[in-house]
Amino acid sequence: MFKSEELEINLGPQHPSTHGVLRVKLRLDGETVVSCTPVIGYLHRGLEKICENKTYFQGQVWTDRMDYVAAISNNLGWVEGVEKLFGIETPRRARYIRTMLTEMNRIASHLLWLATHALDIGAMTVFLYAFREREFLLDLFEAFCGARLTTTAFRIGGLREDLPPGFVKQARAFQAIFPERLEEYETLLSENRIWKKRTVGVARITAEDCIALGVTGPVLRAAGVPYDIRKAFPSAAYAEMDFEIPTRPEADTYARYLVRLAEMRQSHRIIQQCLDGLPEGPVMAKIPKILKSEVNEVYHAIEAPKGELGYYFVGEKGGVNPYRMHVRAPSFVNLQALPKMIEGRLLADVIAAIGTLDVVLGEIDR
Amino acid sequence: MPPMTLLQTIAMGLIQIVAVLIVVFIMVPLLTFAERKVIGYAQVRLGATRTAGGRKGFTASLNRGMWAMGKVPVLSFFRGLPVFVADAVKLITKEDIIPAKADRAVFTLAPILSVVAAFGVFSAIAYYPGVMFYMPKSWPLIGGLPFNGAIADVNVGLLFILGLASVGVYGIVLGAWASNSKYPLLGGLRSAAQIVSYEVPLTLSLLPAVILAGTLNFKDMSVILSTGQGMSPLAVIPLFIGFFIYTTCGFAETNRVPFDLPEAETELVAGFHTEYSGMKFGFFYLAEYANMIVVSCLATAFFFGGYYLLPFGLQRIIPASVPFLGHPSFLFFMAKVSLLLFVFIWVRATLPRYRYDQLMDVGWKYLIPLSLVNLFIAAVIRYAF
Repeated sequence: MFKSEELEINLGPQHPSTHGVLRVKLRLDGETVVSCTPVIGYLHRGLEKICENKTYFQGQVWTDRMDYVAAISNNLGWVEGVEKLFGIETPRRARYIRTMLTEMNRIASHLLWLATHALDIGAMTVFLYAFREREFLLDLFEAFCGARLTTTAFRIGGLREDLPPGFVKQARAFQAIFPERLEEYETLLSENRIWKKRTVGVARITAEDCIALGVTGPVLRAAGVPYDIRKAFPSAAYAEMDFEIPTRPEADTYARYLVRLAEMRQSHRIIQQCLDGLPEGPVMAKIPKILKSEVNEVYHAIEAPKGELGYYFVGEKGGVNPYRMHVRAPSFVNLQALPKMIEGRLLADVIAAIGTLDVVLGEIDR
Repeated sequence: MPPMTLLQTIAMGLIQIVAVLIVVFIMVPLLTFAERKVIGYAQVRLGATRTAGGRKGFTASLNRGMWAMGKVPVLSFFRGLPVFVADAVKLITKEDIIPAKADRAVFTLAPILSVVAAFGVFSAIAYYPGVMFYMPKSWPLIGGLPFNGAIADVNVGLLFILGLASVGVYGIVLGAWASNSKYPLLGGLRSAAQIVSYEVPLTLSLLPAVILAGTLNFKDMSVILSTGQGMSPLAVIPLFIGFFIYTTCGFAETNRVPFDLPEAETELVAGFHTEYSGMKFGFFYLAEYANMIVVSCLATAFFFGGYYLLPFGLQRIIPASVPFLGHPSFLFFMAKVSLLLFVFIWVRATLPRYRYDQLMDVGWKYLIPLSLVNLFIAAVIRYAF
């Protein structure tokens, strides 16, 4: 008379907490997740193919549209990859400004993560607090390059313009308020019993699994592996900066929360060093109007807020656009860890796990 | 005074019902307005804290005089007040969609059940012990008749209230089931489990008050518990513990953060009312806010000093000879209810949401044992001191 059935449910693509158009097929036994399959591709635009039909200068504009909350990181990867392909040296001042803006972008991206992650777990106030500071940063980006999200901030060979007047002052104002604002978030969350109950021990993934699946970024560092491309293969001005790689051994959602907060503090430190030690000089190297490549290939990775963001370029002889271009997107690789994190756990943990992975669908689908 | 005729009883009853309904129907939108404002200030929401309405148009008409004098209106704190009018208009005029495969009868019945249960409870709540005022002598039929502090002075008022309040959960469960959709189903299941679990500590937390007061009549309980007549001074302890258990369970009963699992928007889209729209959704919405008021009224009456100034039976410190402060007042009651409603909103701005299994843990492993211990303490105090 009674029979039990598993409930198949589609979390997304239109769902408030899948952060875009991620669709997760779940089989539920009551509220327990039996199996989980992420389905992607709802935002696919063929970005890599498009970039193969654009010149190296034009292609950068498209990178903004991948991880749209961390466009400056995407820009950095692109311009440095192309510079590596053509052997262009950028002036030191340009590298400093790039470093500074990338770190600001890292803070902006982590703030967006904190905001949405906290909202997913039900802490609504953090959402609005974090957006307040992000607004400050977006205003700075707007002052620098005229755009808030799709920045196209840098140029191959340096920067299009030097910092606008007043930028340094505003940036210092941000530096002054940010540490206490971070503490404000922490008073709401770090020792909050409900927050800890929802995050400690939830969506755990071991360091071995992380490495086997290719997971990078804060998720890997929260599993205790101190792998950060800014230290391992420093580009821009990271070699001259003094900062630490925060790690935690617990590998759960709470550890990732702590790691990302610590990363924001380190980014704050790097920005301070950039502001204090900003060298004088030109911001643009002399480069030809048209870049024509040899037969050559380059892989260049940077540490994006979500993890290792790699650009792979293959040039053909005399070509003004890449023969082949591929992006190693951190969100795409990290998403593979989702089924491992949540199978056998509760539905509410799925939401926490998607939040803690910090995926951006624009980057996954490209 | 001669006993009232049947006609007079009916007339007075209707007047009281209408009066209470008007108060509640005003309080609910005011509560949503307060929620916007309080959360707006707590969360630095720019819209809710600064939206003023323009210098032209409907919203400005309320403040036109001040604008004309070149001043920011005194009413500026209340700017945004017309939003709840807009809310009501929106809910009433929106298309009322019934999903094709829904069970139409039950789907329609569910919100009605919810709202009737929520509003029915108000009939047994006493807002003032005894007569509030007398109708003017010159009025026909009802001239000189008393306007009581409660619509119905039921002698088992507490049982009536608890019974009627728990009917409300049927609205949620039936609505979820009738929607014939997966997210509401999960929301309904959560709701059923949650409310069944939290009814137990909720009732157990009220029992010490019943034991100490020795009656189930709402008005008498409230008066005895707040004046502390015939009670040991030690009775403060069980009342204090009971207050916290009751308020915690109250949050769960009204599906408010941190126990808003049945409608957890980030997990279940909108939980049990995902498929509802228009005024049917409006009924659930009304019921939730009405329930908040009910929970606040009960907490106030039994634990928080009711119509008197001081809570937990401490009123005995102030002798009845002191003017105003020593006497029961409708104002004290409403002020305390408002304070508790503020706490509801405040908590919403502060806390994240529990997970389903953790919610059950809190209910069964902590609240029920605690309320049983509290019941024991109350019983000992009642009979030993």
